[in-house]
Amino acid sequence: MRRVELDFRPAVPAADANAAVGRRHDRRVAVDDAAGVVAEMDRAGVSQALVYAPHAAAYDSREGNAWLADAVRGEPRLVPQFVCNPAFDDLDDTAAHAAGAGARAVRMLPMLHNYPFRPWVVGAWLAWLAAEGLPLWLPMDYAANWHTGGELDPHEVFETVRELPELAVVLSEVHYRQASWALPLLRSLPNLSIELSRFVIVDGVQRLLDAAGPRRILFGSRFPDSPMAPQLYHLHRCGLSEDDLRAICAGNLLRLLGMDAS
Amino acid sequence: MTASAAGRSAPRRGGAAAGGAPPEPAPVIDFHCHAGRWGRYWVDDACDRYLRVMDAAGIDRACLNCIWHGDARRGNDVVAGFLRQRPDRFIGAAFATPHYPEEAVPELERAVDQLGMAYVKVYPDYVGRPVDDPAYFPIFEWVNARGLPVMCHATYPFDPPGTTITGRFTALSRRFPHVTWVLAHAAGRVDADAARAARCLPKVYLETCSSGTALGAVEYAVEHAGEDRVLFGSDMPLMDARQQIAKVATAAISPQAKRKVLGANALRVLGLSTDLRPVPRPARGA
Repeated sequence: MRRVELDFRPAVPAADANAAVGRRHDRRVAVDDAAGVVAEMDRAGVSQALVYAPHAAAYDSREGNAWLADAVRGEPRLVPQFVCNPAFDDLDDTAAHAAGAGARAVRMLPMLHNYPFRPWVVGAWLAWLAAEGLPLWLPMDYAANWHTGGELDPHEVFETVRELPELAVVLSEVHYRQASWALPLLRSLPNLSIELSRFVIVDGVQRLLDAAGPRRILFGSRFPDSPMAPQLYHLHRCGLSEDDLRAICAGNLLRLLGMDAS
Repeated sequence: MTASAAGRSAPRRGGAAAGGAPPEPAPVIDFHCHAGRWGRYWVDDACDRYLRVMDAAGIDRACLNCIWHGDARRGNDVVAGFLRQRPDRFIGAAFATPHYPEEAVPELERAVDQLGMAYVKVYPDYVGRPVDDPAYFPIFEWVNARGLPVMCHATYPFDPPGTTITGRFTALSRRFPHVTWVLAHAAGRVDADAARAARCLPKVYLETCSSGTALGAVEYAVEHAGEDRVLFGSDMPLMDARQQIAKVATAAISPQAKRKVLGANALRVLGLSTDLRPVPRPARGA
């Protein structure tokens, strides 16, 4: 039996697929600036992090994305992820802004922004993402003091994503409540990956490996709501081969983002 | 002697006063685990998976309860099945429900005295009665006479406004002074009220599991409740023990505090030595 490591450091490079930078309106978070995110990355042994701005999710994507672009400028370890609201935003304007800011991925929140994840709302946006090679993150929900809306609709995800096999989509913040449909969905959609920050069911990584294989699983922390190190510790205890560990801890994310692992 | 056998030596007293000498190397004890099946959340009763995950996480003993049956006897029999398979790896916790008060004490006597369970678990949220509802009092009177621990959630969706953890467990501690209260999930979030309860009350402990892995929660509990008052728990198999133990292993607390949280404190609560033998307790009132 292995013992508990009290001074853990990851044995492979790590890149976080789910972190936020910036203030929230509804509560004070422990870390709300780029320097704080980088300090946590140093503490946990994380080399890069994909970050979005909470304001872009909660209120206005244009304002929040612009703030994010400023916040991460000059900090190459923080990779910007733009939040998009296809029901409200202008596609051409967003595309230009994303290209200018070096955004490597997009996050959509259909429940929070109050639209169905259907081609007649998001079709043009998904076509843009596919053409640009930008992966799409779909969080299960968004917790805010005024929003207690429902969770992502798996049927909508299935019907919409299967029409765009060239688009990479990442289910994010999947909780054990959603495990019953998330695994069949991963089996059904080869262009779908999963980010691990809230996937806590017992033997969850092995179940994901069985359902989707090692190239569609991404380490993510949900920082600053959660610390970065525990999920990495967990992954190092899952009996993974070194290749699979490297892929899940960093390689898969960097591949999706079109970034060099070096 | 096995851990489950240790539970048979009644009467015994869990929850000795915290503090004292630095802990010797202690086994790692997961204080919060379940047995049984819950298909909604992919929970099954695969003992081999349990053991494999415990081994990978570095857990020596897992404390099991089965709270998912209206008939407590059926749930406790599920736990007993695990104890029979691996008495060297599991410690039993007896479930008691206030809905059948006429059955509660006889079933606790069976579960503790015959099946070897070491403490009592109640599940107020799901049975629909807060832990300070008088319907539990016959159960707690029996537990108090035995000096056993009780584990439960500390707050519930149906609590009236103004309910506090400190107030609730102050009243319970006065009424049942020999019960050690383990507040499930209370160190899995930053919770000033729970920390205050553990700091103010000599037999209240906070347990660490949560599905959210809140930033700084373990550190907060150790700082504000005290490193002697926090217990590691995983909620396995609802959650993966490797992920849950990682919160303690990687927390910004001292190695000594980590060892206490991971096992030394649980030994004290369960009344066990580092080799998992029962520790003789002073007679009540000594």
